[in-house]
Amino acid sequence: MQQNFYLKRDQLSSVLSEISKSHALFCPQKKDDDYVYLPWAQIQSEEAIYNEYRGVEPIKSFLTHSKEIVNEYFNSPDAPAEAKPLAVFGVKNCDLSSLTLQDYVFEQGVEVDPIYKKRRENLLIISSDCTGFKPTCFCLAVGNKPYPEKNFDINLSPINNGFVVEVGSSKGETLIRKLNQYFTAATTGQIAGSKIKRDNIVNDLNRHLATVNIPPANALQKNIQEGYDSNVWKEQMLTCVECGACNFICPSCHCFLLADEEKQGRSERIRVWDSCLYANYSKVAGGANPLNTRAKRLRNRFVKKFDFFPDNLGQFGCTGCGRCIEACPAKIDIREVLKSLAKK
Amino acid sequence: MKNIYKPIKAVIENITEETPNIKTFHLKPAEPIEFRTGQFVELTVPGIGEAPFTPSSDPFVKDKMEITIMNVGRVTTILHNMKPGDTVGIRGPYGKGYPVDDFLGKELVIVGGGVGLAPLRSLLLHLFNDMDKYKRVSLYYGSRSPKDMVYKRLLPQWEKRKNFSLTTTVDVGDGTWTGKVGLVTTILKDFKVEKNEAKAIVCGPPIMMKFTTFKLIDEGFKPENLYLSMEKNMSCGLGKCGHCRLGKYYICKDGPVFTFEQIKDLHDIWD
Repeated sequence: MQQNFYLKRDQLSSVLSEISKSHALFCPQKKDDDYVYLPWAQIQSEEAIYNEYRGVEPIKSFLTHSKEIVNEYFNSPDAPAEAKPLAVFGVKNCDLSSLTLQDYVFEQGVEVDPIYKKRRENLLIISSDCTGFKPTCFCLAVGNKPYPEKNFDINLSPINNGFVVEVGSSKGETLIRKLNQYFTAATTGQIAGSKIKRDNIVNDLNRHLATVNIPPANALQKNIQEGYDSNVWKEQMLTCVECGACNFICPSCHCFLLADEEKQGRSERIRVWDSCLYANYSKVAGGANPLNTRAKRLRNRFVKKFDFFPDNLGQFGCTGCGRCIEACPAKIDIREVLKSLAKK
Repeated sequence: MKNIYKPIKAVIENITEETPNIKTFHLKPAEPIEFRTGQFVELTVPGIGEAPFTPSSDPFVKDKMEITIMNVGRVTTILHNMKPGDTVGIRGPYGKGYPVDDFLGKELVIVGGGVGLAPLRSLLLHLFNDMDKYKRVSLYYGSRSPKDMVYKRLLPQWEKRKNFSLTTTVDVGDGTWTGKVGLVTTILKDFKVEKNEAKAIVCGPPIMMKFTTFKLIDEGFKPENLYLSMEKNMSCGLGKCGHCRLGKYYICKDGPVFTFEQIKDLHDIWD
């Protein structure tokens, strides 16, 4: 199948409306300077919005939930229950990159997480190029582009009156076939037009990042390793209130806690997102707590992202979305931590 | 698809009191559980939670499992109050366990501290299955005091094994103790083994592991021949929940047994 199509801008809402018939569809909606995800049913009275940059919620929140039951004990069924397929529109590359990491954690390794796998298979991803960025965006500094390269089903690259649509998976191919009345073959001119827009956003973001001055991506792992005993961890941690916002909003953070609850005589095992900034994150029975200071916990977060994941997966555990910078009530800035480490 | 968070039901058949705060639970799982010695399981108290333990029983026995547990935390306190007939759950086994094939034809020095003898008992039962496969097995066991020694009833039987020797010590003796007194490191000397060939297997609390490792290296054992049982708060057991990271490893899936060679350059391994 040909990989590039053209979709007229005024047909986008129709396409999304079609998708919403078979999927629970979530679309970005503008709120102040941000885009928040809402179910299609709540926004379909208006035109679909093309978000310039990533939404508030990370893509992981559609795949693992902040708190969910994973087992109802010995009577629990083996396979997770069937659910209506989910579709998310306007996913940006920082989130798509994080999927490589989330997939690695939950779908690979010694066992497959069946809940994640089911949701992942059921998830239709309609991604799109960034046409703008937030002041906190720094994807290019960690080796990510502001436009999708993989992990999408179909991707929209805007040109003047429509979109160049790229097919990224067989799921995307099926979708295009099904909705073929809306799509025509993209011309070379249209494709060239979308490429120019991509180059422009890269140039704009690079100009912005030149003022931020994050150390080069190929030095980050080494800086973390050499800065293990640095004072930076202590200095940067002075204001941390251990709220865990940086973890929960991070598309790459995946840590969770298994805990049991008893309700009306029924035992349930729940899985909740965990934060490595919490004081008890590494505590064991008997009281030992290897990460017993906030400085050690901050360092652990950075070692995991910039040392562990490059070693184990070949990519950073940070995709440059900048969400943690906005979420932190203590104004701890991941870019500043990386810069301070490089200076020492 | 398998629900990886669902435990297998198991009934407590019997409970042996080993010390004032250590009990061995004899479990009968609803279906046979195969494990390799040194692998660990997550033991569940439904509605309360789970905790990681390495079985202390013979890995060749699949329909029963013994787990020796010290009362140190939330889950273990509840376990210690349970009775024969009560139901628990078992998830696993997880991890890689002891690389027993590497031990074939070798002289083995096994060092246990306190309740750390529990996983080593499983290893010993594996070795006892055919002692002709190993040149010699020497067990060194240290505990805080005579009343804190586990498997006191079993030690005399073990001593009768061929190619096997047992040396015990306690940190502090009592009126009845006539054996050696001192930390386990004080009995790790005068080895009659080829030290650059012999394998040393160590399990115990972090502080004991640390000084035992230094002592064995001093004595001439090689880092690649030193097998250490590392511990952190393994929760999922599958390398997913993130809690038990040690450098570039997860203890649950890459361990829990590591050679000192694998981890000696990592930060904070004894914390």
